[in-house]
Amino acid sequence: MIEFEAAYYDGRTSASKRVRVRGYTLAIQIIGDGLRLDVPLGKVRVDPPVGSTRRALHLPDGAQLQTDDHRAVEALFPRAHALEGWVHALERRWLYALAAIAFVAAFAWWSVVDGLPRAAKIVAGFVPTTVEVNLGEQSLGFFERNLCGPSTLDAARQQALQQRFARLTAGLADGYAYRLLPRACRGIGANAFALPGGTVVMTDALVKLARNDDQISAVLAHEIGHVRHRHGLRMALQAAGLAALATAVFGDATSITSLATTLPTALLQSGYSREAEAEADDYAFQRLREIGLSPKAFAEIMLLLEKARQKTSGGGPKDYFSTHPATAKRIERALAAP
Amino acid sequence: MALPTDQGAAANVSDPVKRHPVEFTADAGEYFRIWIVNLALTIVTLGIYSAWAKVRKRRYFYGHTRVDGESFEYRANPIAILKGRLIAVAAIAVFYAVGYFAPLYQALLWIPLAILGPWLLVRSLAFNAYNTAYRNVRFRFEGTYKACLKVVLVYGWLVFTGILYPYLKHRLIRFAAENHCYGTTRFEIADFKKPFIAAYANAYGLGFVLIAAVMGLAIWVKSPFAIGLIYIGLFLLFGYIRARTTNAIWNAVRIGPLSFESSLRARDLIWLYLSNLLAIAFTLGLATPWAQVRAMRYRASKTTAIASGPLDGFAEGQAQQVSAAGEEVAELFDIDIAL
Repeated sequence: MIEFEAAYYDGRTSASKRVRVRGYTLAIQIIGDGLRLDVPLGKVRVDPPVGSTRRALHLPDGAQLQTDDHRAVEALFPRAHALEGWVHALERRWLYALAAIAFVAAFAWWSVVDGLPRAAKIVAGFVPTTVEVNLGEQSLGFFERNLCGPSTLDAARQQALQQRFARLTAGLADGYAYRLLPRACRGIGANAFALPGGTVVMTDALVKLARNDDQISAVLAHEIGHVRHRHGLRMALQAAGLAALATAVFGDATSITSLATTLPTALLQSGYSREAEAEADDYAFQRLREIGLSPKAFAEIMLLLEKARQKTSGGGPKDYFSTHPATAKRIERALAAP
Repeated sequence: MALPTDQGAAANVSDPVKRHPVEFTADAGEYFRIWIVNLALTIVTLGIYSAWAKVRKRRYFYGHTRVDGESFEYRANPIAILKGRLIAVAAIAVFYAVGYFAPLYQALLWIPLAILGPWLLVRSLAFNAYNTAYRNVRFRFEGTYKACLKVVLVYGWLVFTGILYPYLKHRLIRFAAENHCYGTTRFEIADFKKPFIAAYANAYGLGFVLIAAVMGLAIWVKSPFAIGLIYIGLFLLFGYIRARTTNAIWNAVRIGPLSFESSLRARDLIWLYLSNLLAIAFTLGLATPWAQVRAMRYRASKTTAIASGPLDGFAEGQAQQVSAAGEEVAELFDIDIAL
């Protein structure tokens, strides 16, 4: 026989009564001040255990027993909850908790490095180009409003650059309406951006940095590579996926913790990944060859860009989060390109 | 701290006022194990287990929240939550799919969502109330969709004025509070408009001062630093508003012989949120359970239930079972009124 202390509630009011409960093989007996109740075990529904949370035994007609005597409840209902009983056992040991940490960390690592990019690529396949054009227009709006004004290059120079761009995009027949926007931008130096949908923004500083126009073609080919591989859309999808995953993991938390989860997300999503850059590079090498230019031009402009970057940032910690890491390796690849 | 057994004796002496500080007895280490194990199981089962995880986590939190030595109970059925989640995921998938494939029509989807919003809100409050019990007596939410829609239609336009938004929020909280019952005892809420609106007014004022100061400072310091200052400023205001409005609400609530005293302090809350944020960021999320326990412990430590009569006279009422769909969809769309 199992005997334990409990609080009894009759199911009609919030009054609680101290009782002793005796558990037998087929029934429990509840004995308290002016109360004597026999309830068959089959009529008692017990909540699954959660940590040290007080146990509740639901009796017929909404009555209830509550007790902190976990051992007695376990002994009375040894097989009440197969699944949650097992989970409860896992939750009690630090060893299993550590194993769970390792598993969750491995999963998080895998989803950021492999799972999400892969899923984003698949999902991107279902997204029509009109969506990309929309996305591109929005980012362009941001650039135009905040950072960039019309180019200060003279008309003839702009004409020549447009012709080079036209040669790069001629006959691509991939459904994108390519256009080149030369712009004078503050604070971002020599740079070019591919926006989803086919718009390429190029800063005047880049045009001035380049020693010859083949080098500009090389950068533009790289940007066209981003467009064709739909990197903008894929990154946006990845970011959305990461946010959804983070909410799923940290959901049920207060709003302030969700703020904390966006922080690492932002760090992870600063610019295109190395893989995306490599894909765009490969496309650039191939395309340059196709129109009769050498991928060496790409190596040259990368070298110039790297020098310019080191001059402005002094090789400080800013490079750590740089969107174009491992430049030396990319230069090597350009020189070795077939 | 009075033991429950003292009550019979106390009730005889013409019910003197008793103060019951809210206790939160959760252990961060124990909750961490529950959290991480349930998270791992959710991943392994591709999210299906998340419904059980939610119930287990809530049961732990509710069970360790005690007033007068008696703990709260979370009674939701995981299967009901799973069904609700499936509906919610389908709803959000439709919403985003329309957004991707026909962006023009997504704007139109906001219209049913606006009409549905109050419904979701009411259902979510009802689900949570129905599944919360204390001393074996359930809470209930009796607010109707019609009444909620009326509040939204009459005061909803205030959202667009920005500065009058707190008034709408106050009306919604009033609606939520008034329509809750503990058993058959309806919640009452005294006028809390003044302190509630004052909290927002002060925060808005401080916000303006802050922005002006940062703009002045931005002449000397680099812009990322100024942006950082703005974020810290928003944090301060958020903590301030949270502390003051929570106090305003709970000091006005009455449930039969029970009233409450909430004395959250803005600076405590700001420090709590800021340190929680840093801890979570630096541990890559692993400190989340500790942060949650800590936040709840602070909240409990500053809340006292004041009983002007015995707590054993509340009668259980007739409550209608509520499906979890409203609660889960509302959660995904972040529709929520926290009391």
